[in-house]
Amino acid sequence: MCCISGVIIPITDPCFSFFPTRPDPHPNIISFPASVSFRVRPGVPHRPVKSILNDTVQFSSDPPSFYDLLGIPETGNLLEIKQAYKQLARKYHPDVSPPDQVEEYTKRFIQVQEAYETLSDPRRRALYDRDLAKGIHFAFSARRRIGLEFDEQMEDKNEWKSRWESQLSHLKKRSMYKDSGDNMSWGARMRRQRNESS
Amino acid sequence: MALCAFAFPGNLSKAVGADPQKHTTLCSQWLRGTDLQCQFYCKNKQVRKRAAGVCASLSERGEYHSQRPPTPLLDTINYPIHMKNLSTKELKQLADELRSDVIFNVSKTGGHLGSSLGVIELTVALHYVFNAPRDRILWDVGHQSYPHKILTGRRDKMHTLRQTNGLSGFTKRSESDYDCFGAGHSSTTISAGLGMAVGRDLKGRKNNVVAVIGDGAMTAGQAYEAMNNAGYLDSDMIVILNDNKQVSLPTANLDGPIPPVGALSSALSRLQSNRPLRELREVAKGVTKQIGGPMHEIAAKVDEYARGMISGSGSTLFEELGLYYIGPVDGHSIDDLIAILKEVKSTQTTGPVLIHVVTEKGRGYPYAEKAADKYHGVAKFDPATGKQFKSSAPTQSYTTYFAEALIAEAEADKDVVAIHAAMGGGTGLNLFLRRFPTRCFDVGIAEQHAVTFAAGLACEGLKPFCAIYSSFIQRAYDQVVHDVDLQKLPVRFAMDRAGLVGADGPTHCGAFDVTFMACLPNMVVMAPSDEAELFHMVATAAAIDDRPSCFRYPRGNGVGVELPPGNKGIPLEVGKGRILIEGERVALLGYGSAVQSCLAAAALVEPRGLRLTVADARFCKPLDHALIRSLAKSHEILITVEEGSIGGFGSHVAQFMALDGLLDDKLKWRPLVLPDRYIDHGSPVDQMMQAGLTSSHIAATVFNVLGKAREALEIMSEV
Repeated sequence: MCCISGVIIPITDPCFSFFPTRPDPHPNIISFPASVSFRVRPGVPHRPVKSILNDTVQFSSDPPSFYDLLGIPETGNLLEIKQAYKQLARKYHPDVSPPDQVEEYTKRFIQVQEAYETLSDPRRRALYDRDLAKGIHFAFSARRRIGLEFDEQMEDKNEWKSRWESQLSHLKKRSMYKDSGDNMSWGARMRRQRNESS
Repeated sequence: MALCAFAFPGNLSKAVGADPQKHTTLCSQWLRGTDLQCQFYCKNKQVRKRAAGVCASLSERGEYHSQRPPTPLLDTINYPIHMKNLSTKELKQLADELRSDVIFNVSKTGGHLGSSLGVIELTVALHYVFNAPRDRILWDVGHQSYPHKILTGRRDKMHTLRQTNGLSGFTKRSESDYDCFGAGHSSTTISAGLGMAVGRDLKGRKNNVVAVIGDGAMTAGQAYEAMNNAGYLDSDMIVILNDNKQVSLPTANLDGPIPPVGALSSALSRLQSNRPLRELREVAKGVTKQIGGPMHEIAAKVDEYARGMISGSGSTLFEELGLYYIGPVDGHSIDDLIAILKEVKSTQTTGPVLIHVVTEKGRGYPYAEKAADKYHGVAKFDPATGKQFKSSAPTQSYTTYFAEALIAEAEADKDVVAIHAAMGGGTGLNLFLRRFPTRCFDVGIAEQHAVTFAAGLACEGLKPFCAIYSSFIQRAYDQVVHDVDLQKLPVRFAMDRAGLVGADGPTHCGAFDVTFMACLPNMVVMAPSDEAELFHMVATAAAIDDRPSCFRYPRGNGVGVELPPGNKGIPLEVGKGRILIEGERVALLGYGSAVQSCLAAAALVEPRGLRLTVADARFCKPLDHALIRSLAKSHEILITVEEGSIGGFGSHVAQFMALDGLLDDKLKWRPLVLPDRYIDHGSPVDQMMQAGLTSSHIAATVFNVLGKAREALEIMSEV
């Protein structure tokens, strides 16, 4: 299910899939180490993949960090963050941006918005600072989903379909003999009555 | 999921504007077609280069506008019948457009957003597979029915949602044929659905009945009563359990998301992850296949037992109750939902079936997904930023004042505990929870249990405060009578949302609590007229330790009086009211929030040369006999005002006066109560106008009784 090649593979882990989107695949970035197998046999708990992440991550051109976006130092306090956000939001909101730059400005607005959301929440800011220190940048939604629980959830979702398919087939089978003579439930009697009269 | 990572606005990488070729190959290789946003994003990618993101507007350039987003496909759908010829791809596009429309509409009117977003795909699938209104689709509570309303002919009226003379925020039978059953309180759909299924059987009809119920509503006893009966009767019906792991409201306390309350939720989560058992299932299937031939029936039975063994502990609960369990199912995959619903619909004799659908509250709107309360109920907001427009008021809500008062009492007395039924935010007890984590009990949507639970606590010498909305305590009435009042146990009831409640309408309106509480022999019934009185009444209730007591307060903010120091009230003398304004000829005796209207009425009447007496009764039970006697003897007219139904405060005053002989002379007594009909949802001002309890109405009544009809008309025309 996970062939490891230079092209992106449909794997459950967002961490890995994030990187190939980088526009300039940096020569330093190792294509997924072939030795890593993150699809393990059923029954073996899925290993978290963050540790592997660190080994493969080498970037020379980093995307702007949230701090750069807002134009504040990394030690900025909440007031500075708020002020920077307000200023930039007023500048980049699509309703007030110059018509020829709406796309660009909207994009910036969204980025600034996310930067503010993350940095103004002390918990999220702490997480973000940790990731920044490790040298990786996640969109907040990806960050939230990383983790063992999420991986397990993804695998389970694939199991769900097969499970309900078999449940449905059993339902169909059961309906054949459900209203046989000895089923005396009220509903069965009404159904028999209805079928006889129709 | 990574596709969503850069589909979301937070993408910081330079992927945007990069090589489109590479991105389309990425898209085509993603197998996770179940994620609608990714799919939609893929479609967009082929056209544009940049990340569209999820937005209130569907425009491809990802702009956030405050005008209506373009919805070409949704514009062609007025009724579900128009959906029947759509392909799966078009249905997915319809779901996206429906989502945008819901976000746009709720941003303009306010309402319940998160729950509606979670059931978009389910609504589309249900209306596609089933034929409403012949097939009955019931929505529990009804607050997630916004997409249902849009698809069933009410899209053009969505801008009137929750407003006077507009659409109701819940399902309502008188509004549309497609709303099969009115809802507002939870956990009623399985019962009603079973009733509709049995009625269908008796009448010999052949339609389907589908009841959608959430996992929060599933914690209420009535849902089990219904499932138990459904299993026994074995009538064909479909129950859809909408599981989004949100049991209490808001779905978070002040400090972050809380895990769902109750043992059922963990059982449901276990149901969702049962990996090792799948292999056992495969083995069992293989064995039954081998048996084959004339052993078919036995093999089927073996399979049934194996199913029960394998499907996990939670599903056997439903199976034991007699419902056939299917699931869990990804509630955001239209393909899966349609496949399952079609199969179940086409199977002839199913009996009751329960489809366990897993959804995410607030799905599709990043701000809702991130928020701790998942944007359950919102005021008007800006779709681009998700920021709500909350008007700032000079005073806080009565709910907050109550919580602060209770905290002050609990700090003084360690026996004070608080109980609520899945309404930590609505009752303000989240504040109490933060301060006293071990003394606040959330029992799930189980008011009956909450009351008897409180009774049990009172037996052990604790001081339980049950904070349940006036309209929800109706559910627990027998417990109040039999378990609390009959045994004279000191349980305190704090009934919020008393009287008319505005946009939520008659389903949440607390019109009857004075009536049904004051008729109980041992109950002390009181109502504060402002927030300082509320503090004092909380203290009074805490001090009453030999009998049950209750107090009611309205929705809304305080009037601005000075609060007692340290938030600690002083216990009032039980059965004593107070006179606020001394006047002559006419006395207004108000109860609760109506006192404020009486004061305003006195101000209206003053310029016309009449000085009214305004009194605050404070207690409905025991009545302040001395106050009533003095008012009756020194005035010509006594008008009692309350925001409750007939049989409440006014009736008790009348009873006392009649027995005391006060009506035998020349006193004229007039009651002002809520009218004998349900007041529809709307703004609080409009509702009061409809009810006839505004200060103008009170003043006009005064003049009418005095025989001065012209002045009465003048006052009313000034409104």
